[in-house]
Amino acid sequence: MQHEGTMAHIAALVLLLSLITGCASNPGGDPGDPYESANRKIYNFNDAIDRNVLQPVARGYVDVTPKPVRTGFTNFFANAGYLNVIANDLLQGKGMQFLSDSGRFVVNSTFGLGGLFDPAREMGLVAHDEDLGQTFGVWGAGEGAYLNLPLGGPSSVRDAPGLVAAIFTNPLTYLNPVVNIPLNVVNAVNTRANLLEATNIRDQAALDPYTFVREAYRQQREFKIYDGNPPGDGFDEYLDGEGDSAILKVY
Amino acid sequence: MKTVNAAAFALIFFLGTQSFAAADETPAAAVVESLHATLLKIMQDADTLGYSGRVDTIAPVLNRSFDFETISRIVTGRAWNELDATRRSEFTALFARLSAATYASNFSSFSGERFETLSSEAKRDNMLVKTVLVKADGDKVTLDYLLRKSDGLWRIVNVIAEGVSDLSLKRADYTAVIKNEGFNSLITQLNGKVTSYGESGR
Repeated sequence: MQHEGTMAHIAALVLLLSLITGCASNPGGDPGDPYESANRKIYNFNDAIDRNVLQPVARGYVDVTPKPVRTGFTNFFANAGYLNVIANDLLQGKGMQFLSDSGRFVVNSTFGLGGLFDPAREMGLVAHDEDLGQTFGVWGAGEGAYLNLPLGGPSSVRDAPGLVAAIFTNPLTYLNPVVNIPLNVVNAVNTRANLLEATNIRDQAALDPYTFVREAYRQQREFKIYDGNPPGDGFDEYLDGEGDSAILKVY
Repeated sequence: MKTVNAAAFALIFFLGTQSFAAADETPAAAVVESLHATLLKIMQDADTLGYSGRVDTIAPVLNRSFDFETISRIVTGRAWNELDATRRSEFTALFARLSAATYASNFSSFSGERFETLSSEAKRDNMLVKTVLVKADGDKVTLDYLLRKSDGLWRIVNVIAEGVSDLSLKRADYTAVIKNEGFNSLITQLNGKVTSYGESGR
């Protein structure tokens, strides 16, 4: 049921994007980004909101909130979202990691006072980063078309359903809206604050920020799917080849 | 009996350290470690050196550790083929200045960071040297270096930070600018980046 809803959501999104662009082809552009024209519009929209609202709020929040408090929020929301990691450990067949992550969730939810602290890390139960998009990747799915989600940032046809799954697996979703909505606001501001360093690098280095973010997103997803050890292949191709089609894989 | 044990222990210890040394001190890893040592230096002496002092310290190290010509060829994509030798070396020099400016701007303070070399492994004709930047609070940033041998020396052709390949990022970014605005616009914008690093890096 949840799966059907997710697929419907994606289908609607893809349809919407096709309507905005008028057609789904992108002559001369990146083959993995057929909706580039619509994606760029959404990127600019998100960026305007980010620069005018979210970023100033996040900077103000960093100024007035002591680091340990911010770390506490980061820990708390990571822990609340951790069932999603545990479920995907299982879907990817990572048995030991499933046990370790389950232990981590129990330890941090109890001794860590609902996840505000991270005593599990001291016990050697380190955090992992898994989600449904990575699971699809492990199962062999390609990235599919690159997407820029309104108010959501970079994603892809493979990764977007995972955002919905993450909502359903998060216990905070089922809290009374009176509690849930303010928590979501804190989470959004705190998450944005944690990304300030990354977006500073983007602003300093990027000539075409849209392309920069797309490339960084793709590579980091690949890196996460392979848990930091992407397979060794394809490097000589681009050291020797001079065409644009040469794939810039590193490992 | 005791002497035999001691001798055996010494031998094992000796062999042990030897094999560790062999794993950590391949010529390729040494290039990376020398770069890291210089980065630590400009971080620790950031204030006394100032931005231009940091550029002057790091630039010669970058020039001998990076294969800027190969990097320049890759990041400009097809456009490289249409450049004559003079423009190629102009671009390579500009890219080297940009790299020095980026390092001098980003490695501008020290708060207990250190670098660790984890491994170095052959990838066909290239070497992949895996390292981490460990922050004072224990957080780690993985930095992998890909090195290629040219003129008998190992030189860095790519830096992969947390899985994001600098070479791929720049190639995508630069070729997008070349495609939409032309090669001259790329040159203008990169010069602008060098200037803005200088202004924000002081």
